[in-house]
Amino acid sequence: MLHPMNTEALDDGTLRRWGVLVVEDDSRARAFFEASVQRSPRLFWLGSAGTVQEARGWLARTTTIPDVLLVDLGMPDGTGLDVIRDAVARFPGCEPLVVSVFGDEENVLASIEAGAVGYIHKDAAPEDIAQTIVEMKAGASPISPMIARRVLAKYRSLQSASLAPGMAASGAAPEAAFDENERGLLSAREHEVLTLIARGFSYAEIARLKGLSVHTVQTHIKNLYGKLAVHSKSEAVFEATRLGLLPHPG
Amino acid sequence: MLARLGALLSLWLAVLVTGAAGLGAASAEPLQAADGSIELRHGTITTSVDGITRTGPVELSYHWDRQHRGRPGLASFDLPFTLAAAPETPWGIFIPRVGNVFEVQLNGALLQVYGDMSVGNDADYAKAPIYVPVPGHLLTAGENHLQIRLHADSARRAGLSRVVVGPATPVRTELFESAYAWRFTGSVLLTAFSLIVGSIALALWLTQVDTGAVGRQRRDGIYFWAALAEFCWAVRVADGVIAEPPLPWVPWGVLMAACYAGWAASAMMFCYHLAGWARNPRLQWLRWPLAVVVAGTVVASTLALQREQPVWLTGWLAIEIVIIGVFVGGFVVATVRRPNTEQMLVAIAALVTVAFGMRDWLVIRLSDAYGETTWVRYSSIFFGIALLLIVLRRFHAVSTQARGWVAALADRVAQRERELALTYAELEQVARDQARTHERERILRDMHDGVGSHISSAIRQLQSGQTSSEELLRTLRDSLDQLKLSIDSIHLPPGDVGALLAALRYRLEPRLVAAGIEFEWAVEEVGPVQLLDAHAMRQLQFLLFEAISNVLQHAQASVLRIEADMQGDTVRLRVIDNGRGFDALQVPRALWERAGAIGARLVVESRPGRTVVQLAFG
Repeated sequence: MLHPMNTEALDDGTLRRWGVLVVEDDSRARAFFEASVQRSPRLFWLGSAGTVQEARGWLARTTTIPDVLLVDLGMPDGTGLDVIRDAVARFPGCEPLVVSVFGDEENVLASIEAGAVGYIHKDAAPEDIAQTIVEMKAGASPISPMIARRVLAKYRSLQSASLAPGMAASGAAPEAAFDENERGLLSAREHEVLTLIARGFSYAEIARLKGLSVHTVQTHIKNLYGKLAVHSKSEAVFEATRLGLLPHPG
Repeated sequence: MLARLGALLSLWLAVLVTGAAGLGAASAEPLQAADGSIELRHGTITTSVDGITRTGPVELSYHWDRQHRGRPGLASFDLPFTLAAAPETPWGIFIPRVGNVFEVQLNGALLQVYGDMSVGNDADYAKAPIYVPVPGHLLTAGENHLQIRLHADSARRAGLSRVVVGPATPVRTELFESAYAWRFTGSVLLTAFSLIVGSIALALWLTQVDTGAVGRQRRDGIYFWAALAEFCWAVRVADGVIAEPPLPWVPWGVLMAACYAGWAASAMMFCYHLAGWARNPRLQWLRWPLAVVVAGTVVASTLALQREQPVWLTGWLAIEIVIIGVFVGGFVVATVRRPNTEQMLVAIAALVTVAFGMRDWLVIRLSDAYGETTWVRYSSIFFGIALLLIVLRRFHAVSTQARGWVAALADRVAQRERELALTYAELEQVARDQARTHERERILRDMHDGVGSHISSAIRQLQSGQTSSEELLRTLRDSLDQLKLSIDSIHLPPGDVGALLAALRYRLEPRLVAAGIEFEWAVEEVGPVQLLDAHAMRQLQFLLFEAISNVLQHAQASVLRIEADMQGDTVRLRVIDNGRGFDALQVPRALWERAGAIGARLVVESRPGRTVVQLAFG
């Protein structure tokens, strides 16, 4: 019987502990992640897999729903993207995180498309890894300035594509038309936050600049991810498919 | 080709012979035809020439010029005929040819007057056949007398042909109307045809202008001569329907003879151009005999008419036919030597026309036959048809050629397009290769300056055995950070300093945080820096990385501040720390070199508590 671990793993009666599955072909890296997870009071170790085959086998057999999946993309028998897709399809509550050496846009965006909700750097300190996982479960998806820039560029092209037919008619109030269209895709605040991230500001700095709480900033990013996922699924905006963010209930 | 020409020639000869045979057969004498009509052949004639009056029996046809050597005079024919009973149906008199002016009496009653008998050299009614209806009561059973009085001009084909008297139905509807159609209507149609062909030729001559190599405009002579020939011929044939010419007979007669000669000479000039003789300087003289033909005709016809001695013109026409015959012979020889369809057509028409001309000369000018018409007037149609065929063939050839040119042009364009596409593809390949080469160079340089140098220094540190693991770790982290920055730089838009700083912060902040250094971010939005290409962007990354690394390693600072702003067009970047400072004069050379390489002005100021490394662009 499948039964989510988080209901059974309550600590102090308020804080949940999250079960972590690691898919990584390098045994030393596996050991490092295991140590990182074991060290965190908020996480517990479910197991690890060294190949795509093994990971999918684990997912097929498990009686415990993994809360978090750490996946390396470069596996000896395939790509970690397949594991992400498999896990999200089987367990909607599972939130995959990509383990990336470089956190580069190409790999991260491809992972988001497959269903990942964030990424961690392989060279991060053990406590940072645990920290990122917990934050992610609390609703904070990481986003680098490079990725924010890419997302903004996508939105601009989507806007100009959707605006183009109406431009001639609404020449008198292009600003108003722009705002309206923009709101449909991205709220003004979200756009603002994304722009500041692209310019290198941290969440905390953005919160200070805009008179918001850090949590609100994180919520904006989370919402933004949700919107990206919705738009990525719309056939009309096929361009956004690359930015696809699968919905993750829970 | 030659065989065909021969066959056609023999065909025309056969036609000639048949025509001559028909002439002989006409002298048989059926007096009364089955339909009741009577052909009148015998009678009495009273002539008055040069004041001498003679009376005697006459046998029709009566060819005045032949009988009186072209002298003008008066004649009165009395043609008796006998009827068994007075006819009950309307009768009429058909006279195929009579002239020049005359009156018709039957049994003493004047039926019809054509022209003024008292004036000579004026009207000419010999051109069209005549039909005179007979009032019913005039004809009686027994002997009747048809009297025709006429005034004959010289050389105008005066005289009287055989006369047919009979019931109106066969005489008028069969004999008269068909003769009228041949002589009068035929002339009108021939004139119209000649005018149409002549107009087409003239229009072609006026419009079809070649601009020669020297820029001189050149028209095609064959069209001009064809037009002239056809117009001459139109006038000449039109004469057949003009009973009362606008000029007195002598000038009119000279004009008609000149038109005939003009037609012949123009037709020969047409051949002259068609055969290409016009382009041969040694054959230019051929034009002179043709001019002589026209001039000689004018002189001879004037003599003949003025002196009223037709023999002058008859003689000259013989010479003219010989000249034209020789000319046509030359043309036929030239055609046979180098046959082509155009010349072949014209050669046949010319041969036929010469043959007809000879026949006409024999029959009209020499023989006693009266009532015959010329054949040449029909053979002239061949010239018109030949000309039209030539024009059609030329037009067809030109349009085929034009289509060929269009197709060739389209081929050429397609060929050029293919070549262009090929060249373009090659250029694209070259550009791709070049881009790949640049990329390879960039990666190699990157590895050499970044990861490579860090790893080799890590190895040196390990080998020296004097390094702390802290230092070693830093070197390796530097190496990995350089790698990340290198990957970021791949996607950095050239000139976008803001994006470069944001990525740099994202990569380096964890280390600043780990080192316990507070980070201040004062980056305003700055415009793109034009002179920074992909390579320069990477150099700027190195530069800033080095500046920040220096702060991390040596400054012992607690705050690191990054500033970016725009002063007019100048973009300024600053790395500021509150560390212990260093001697600003001893800034590492690499820093200066990199700044110089990307066109940035580097300013370093340092004192304990505030060190500023500033880069300015633009």
